[in-house]
Amino acid sequence: MNTGKFSRITAVALGLALATTMAAAQVNSGAQTITLNAKLAESLTLGLSANAVSFTLAAGSATNAGSTSITATTKWTLLPGRTAVGVYAYFSSTTALTDGAGNNIPSSAFFIADNTNPSTALTGTTPWGTGTGLQMENIAITGTNRSSSQTDAMTFNIDLSSLPQLPAATYTGTLNIQAQAIT
Amino acid sequence: MNLRLQIGRMGSVLVLAFAALASRSEAQVLNSGASTITLQAVLNDSLTVSLSSSAVNFTLTPGSASNPGSLGITATTAWALKPSVGSVKVYAFFANSATALTDGAGHNIPSADFQISNNAGPFTALTSTVPFGGANAGMLLSTTRILGNNRSGSHQDLMNFNINLTTIPSLPAATYTGTLTIRAQAI
Repeated sequence: MNTGKFSRITAVALGLALATTMAAAQVNSGAQTITLNAKLAESLTLGLSANAVSFTLAAGSATNAGSTSITATTKWTLLPGRTAVGVYAYFSSTTALTDGAGNNIPSSAFFIADNTNPSTALTGTTPWGTGTGLQMENIAITGTNRSSSQTDAMTFNIDLSSLPQLPAATYTGTLNIQAQAIT
Repeated sequence: MNLRLQIGRMGSVLVLAFAALASRSEAQVLNSGASTITLQAVLNDSLTVSLSSSAVNFTLTPGSASNPGSLGITATTAWALKPSVGSVKVYAFFANSATALTDGAGHNIPSADFQISNNAGPFTALTSTVPFGGANAGMLLSTTRILGNNRSGSHQDLMNFNINLTTIPSLPAATYTGTLTIRAQAI
């Protein structure tokens, strides 16, 4: 056996011995597990930047703008099966505002311009009434917006052109803004 | 003849005296042969991890960076090791970095969004590759150097947990479950 061969055999033997030693030196503990449970609850909320609008009416005028715009912010975190979020403005009846003495401003004379959309009378159907509302948003829900938000900046107008004989009075009413997620 | 008789008597006395002395000497110490007992005491390598609790709940807020776990958990690592061991390391890890927690319907919270603060340290995401678990799915909790005075010892890691949802703001509402594993290695 020549010297070179002997050296190679020695090197291999040393390597094996080192590997065996290293393997023997490593000790692992058992694995202890922690069960994790994280709940993300379904939610749909709507907030308003203000809760009151005043109008100074001019008899028979088509333009009676509200004193302020109001922004509705809708936020949601939805279950995977949800397909759309709708945001609606509506009155509970076709009587939008009333003086309480039988003189009324109908929802058809009440207009909302939502974001950049044209001013529209509240004559549409909503989940909460027929002929008294306006759907401002219809947002398709996909994998990228299951948790998201939407803002609707609303400006208001009362068109009295169809009510030229409306008597002088203070007319009050309640406009509802509500969102709905559907499956 | 008389002298011969006297010498005979003296000889008998001496023989009796020697016999008596020899007999007394043997009665004082009696030793058996030595039998040996071979003693062997083996202190095996041992390394164990125990947890103060085994479940953590989270109430998630969409898109929020701060969703703390319901409780902290202390991992106690105890060891008795051979002199050749240089250190004890404790790891936390998931089996898969992409699916640390899942709702089972394809929506997941990755290990990069799961954080542990160990012993009041900063919250750290589980993005390292450690000896156990999936690639980029773990973190080293602690390293204890083994010296002559702590070959048998213990160490505690108090873990607080958080889920950071800022990178997955569109995570759908659901219940997400997962398994975090704690394991130690002496090397």
